[in-house]
Amino acid sequence: MENGIQRLFLAALLLPLSLSASVQAQDSDEINPGLERVISPDTQRREIRQAKVDTEDFEIGIFYGVMNVEDFGTNGSAGLRLAYHVSEDFFMEANYGVSTTRETSFEKLSGSTQILTDDQRDLSYYNLSVGYNILPGEIFLGDKYAFNSNFYLIAGVGNTNFADEEHFTYNVGLGFRFYATDWIAVHIDVRDHIFEHDLLGEDQVVNNLETHAGITFFF
Amino acid sequence: MLQAADREFEQATVNTSYIDMRTGPGRAYPVFHVVERDEIVELIKRRTDWIKVKTKRGKTGWAHVSHMGDTVGFDGKQLAFKQAGEEDYLARRWEIGFNGGDFAGANALGATLGYRFTQNLTAEVKLSQATGQFSDSKMAGLALMHQPFPHWRVSPFFLLGSGVIDTSPDTTLVQTEDRTDTALIVGAGAYVYLSRRFVMRLEYNNYLALTSRDENEEVNEWKMGFNVFF
Repeated sequence: MENGIQRLFLAALLLPLSLSASVQAQDSDEINPGLERVISPDTQRREIRQAKVDTEDFEIGIFYGVMNVEDFGTNGSAGLRLAYHVSEDFFMEANYGVSTTRETSFEKLSGSTQILTDDQRDLSYYNLSVGYNILPGEIFLGDKYAFNSNFYLIAGVGNTNFADEEHFTYNVGLGFRFYATDWIAVHIDVRDHIFEHDLLGEDQVVNNLETHAGITFFF
Repeated sequence: MLQAADREFEQATVNTSYIDMRTGPGRAYPVFHVVERDEIVELIKRRTDWIKVKTKRGKTGWAHVSHMGDTVGFDGKQLAFKQAGEEDYLARRWEIGFNGGDFAGANALGATLGYRFTQNLTAEVKLSQATGQFSDSKMAGLALMHQPFPHWRVSPFFLLGSGVIDTSPDTTLVQTEDRTDTALIVGAGAYVYLSRRFVMRLEYNNYLALTSRDENEEVNEWKMGFNVFF
């Protein structure tokens, strides 16, 4: 505060001085117009060009894991992912995954009742999500190696095709990314796919948890 | 000089007092090394706003682009590290968009691919999928979009197009045939430039489905989405 006041007073003191100086400068220009050309500095415009550097903001990969589809068992799942890193914090990701579901316990117990045909048991989904990187850090292996890593929170929307029907699907999850090198990463993900279906008579919202491990490449 | 230009990686000479090198491409990674003025570094790759650099002594680390702006290339020219901005937005050619919203009461997801051939006109391919309680629809269309004021930060647009709507009723409810109708699309909306390569897009579309029944069907669609341009 005190500093600010001091500065203000100093400025007030200096103002008339600088004004008179500029007046003097103007005067001398008028008196001797050639002088300006002599004393003007020999400036060279700085040339600027784009640096040639390879950008690696895209990430592509595959994953494999297990997916639990409510009432229809826990089954293997596999998929593809493509991500674009917008900044060090945010990324956008597109996923496509498939799984084949099992019979419900009701179908097994009743013996002959079938709710779905074999083809209808196939499930596929796609989604678009936004991820936010948290807890960046380094992981040490012995005293020689250090690997970068981070966790991320991710959420998005998409579509699930199950039992010959489309279901609008929300997904939320948490993931862990381990950079084996600058351009190869290993992922472990937990994702909840939430959608509504009426296969068992009435509308119900189902939470389908999927956990998968994957590998991605930056390019 | 030529030798330097032929190298695999660009070489940059530090032209500021120092540049911090971090162990990872993020602001939280520790600074483990400092490159001094007049030292030469190789620019290996870039991830988001971080450049991986290698010093003459073989140390590699990550430096932020804002610091790298103070380096000069082998030809003595100052190096610039492009960050897409509003200028690129105004000069964009291709754009990809994703959107979500409401299609006649159903949840809709869509994607667009646009090619902008003048400042005001963009040709666009639209794909969309809506999942409703009683039926699911898929749409594909071609549209021409006009932006009368492309320079405005919030820039309105109008579009006209045509396409097909494929509707399949819920099989658990009713056993009816799928149907495919031709549709005319009239739409309006706005582009809101956010930053970098991102644009927010708000959109209203009116589909007039030319059905084989006695009456044509009108569908309203409201959407919000994000576009990335190249």
